Amino acid sequence: MKKRSLVLVTVDCLRADHVGFLGYSRPVTPALDALAENSIVFSNAIVAGAPTYFSFPAIMASRYPLALGRDVLGIAPHELTLATSLRGAGYTTAAFLAGNPYLSTRSGYDQGFATFRDFLESSYASELPLGLQAAKPLSNLNRRIAAESRRTDLTAATYDELYFWYCQWRSRRENLSMDELRRYPAADVLVNHAHSWLSSLGGEPFFLWLHLMDPHHPYYPPSEALSSLGLSRTTPLRARFLNSFWNRFDIGARRLQRYRDEILSLYDAGIYWADRQISRLVQVLQQLQRWDETVFVATADHGEEFLEHGNRYHSPTSLPEQLIHVPLLLRSPELSGRHLSGGPFSLIHLAPTLLDAVGVEAPDRFQGRSYWREISAGNLPSEPAIVECVGACDNPFQPADRMRPRLMAIRDAVYKLVVNFNGDFMGTTDSFFDLKNDPGEHSPLPDGVMPDERARLLQVARAHLQATQHNRNIELRLLAHLREIQQSSAK
Amino acid sequence: MRTQYRTFTLPEDLCAAAEKRLTGQFENLEALLSFLLQEIAKDEAGKLDLAEEQIIEQRLRDLGYI
Repeated sequence: MKKRSLVLVTVDCLRADHVGFLGYSRPVTPALDALAENSIVFSNAIVAGAPTYFSFPAIMASRYPLALGRDVLGIAPHELTLATSLRGAGYTTAAFLAGNPYLSTRSGYDQGFATFRDFLESSYASELPLGLQAAKPLSNLNRRIAAESRRTDLTAATYDELYFWYCQWRSRRENLSMDELRRYPAADVLVNHAHSWLSSLGGEPFFLWLHLMDPHHPYYPPSEALSSLGLSRTTPLRARFLNSFWNRFDIGARRLQRYRDEILSLYDAGIYWADRQISRLVQVLQQLQRWDETVFVATADHGEEFLEHGNRYHSPTSLPEQLIHVPLLLRSPELSGRHLSGGPFSLIHLAPTLLDAVGVEAPDRFQGRSYWREISAGNLPSEPAIVECVGACDNPFQPADRMRPRLMAIRDAVYKLVVNFNGDFMGTTDSFFDLKNDPGEHSPLPDGVMPDERARLLQVARAHLQATQHNRNIELRLLAHLREIQQSSAK
Repeated sequence: MRTQYRTFTLPEDLCAAAEKRLTGQFENLEALLSFLLQEIAKDEAGKLDLAEEQIIEQRLRDLGYI
């Protein structure tokens, strides 16, 4: 029997409640919605970590992000992954990733791919930590004024306000298009590369991974996407203003709220563009007569926050549903479409499930297990999902930033416990939610309420931490450290 | 305090291969081996994991579940 091929499309920052097939009312995902009719749709797919650098070890290597030690970033050298497994089984492999610096050769994501393009060598600017993005070269005079202004809160706020509007005035003189403002290659660029690569193949089985960045901030969707959603009045200049304002950290949520709807429209237009290009990719597979043999998966590495809990973007300062609940659809030729509303389904199980779906054995080292049999039968057993990251780690390339306390969520179908280990390890601040009655996570249950459920989730957390320590792979850990030394000495 | 040393015997071809790969990153093979052993011994990340497990255990104890 001919081996199945596999296409994995990951969309950065795509949250579950912004796709039509999970109930979003704005028509931003018509292609995925149509695909969902013939796919297995997971209503409760939960990432194993957030953001990108804490999510992808699970997606690609079925490994919890802190399992090798929180000081290890990315995939360790020689770590077995979805790609290495498929390549070892004779698959031709390729990855086209839209310029996310955390998904690069530096972090080991090229392992197992015969063709690997991360688009970081191109003219697209690197993803910088938010603080750096906001920074502009200041003149010496301006630097002195800025320093002086910090003497009081009032003068600091006045300076920040004036400087913001000065920058807006300056940017008016530059007439840049959306394409010039965007930091990443848009999805059409990635699909063009994928098209060429797919066309070059013979009949061999293949694994293709596309990572799309269109919904990622700064939000500069193609003008065509805005027009298609009836948003053509949003000019590049307006989008630039909105992104600059949204990126301000010197003002409160009340002022930011004023532009939230417009920012959401830009975000949605990015999703729309990714969706449209996914549709093109499916057409390419159909034209090349590879569609009927291909398992096709679309998901996300994490979601995005728009002030629901006071935060923007996807910094791991908390783990709300907006950040950890992602869309997941899996289309396999022999399976008819259905929604699996049980769960949750942790993405730690995705790689072994996909390998099972194409008939390739999963490595023993994987921490997740295959759910293929259950999924094929239309069942999804309820098992708590664990999400972990290093709290407030916004720049993981700085080793010190990775050595902060863990932030962890344990979520089952009804309850969710977020354990926030504080800095001096003298105690914890837990948030315990009943998602059935409080899906927006607005009212944490007081201490003493539902103690059995709280303790059950704490036991899951405890078992996870024990397993992390007992099962740590020292060899991979050392290899990752050696790689980091090699990289820093090569600079 | 005087540091005491141990002597090990390693295959020559393995040492030569490692030295060839280490140019510019470690002064010599002793430096590499010391680094690897220090990494294993210190494991700051492991200490944080253990401290966090103890926090969880304390929470369970407070709730009366252990």
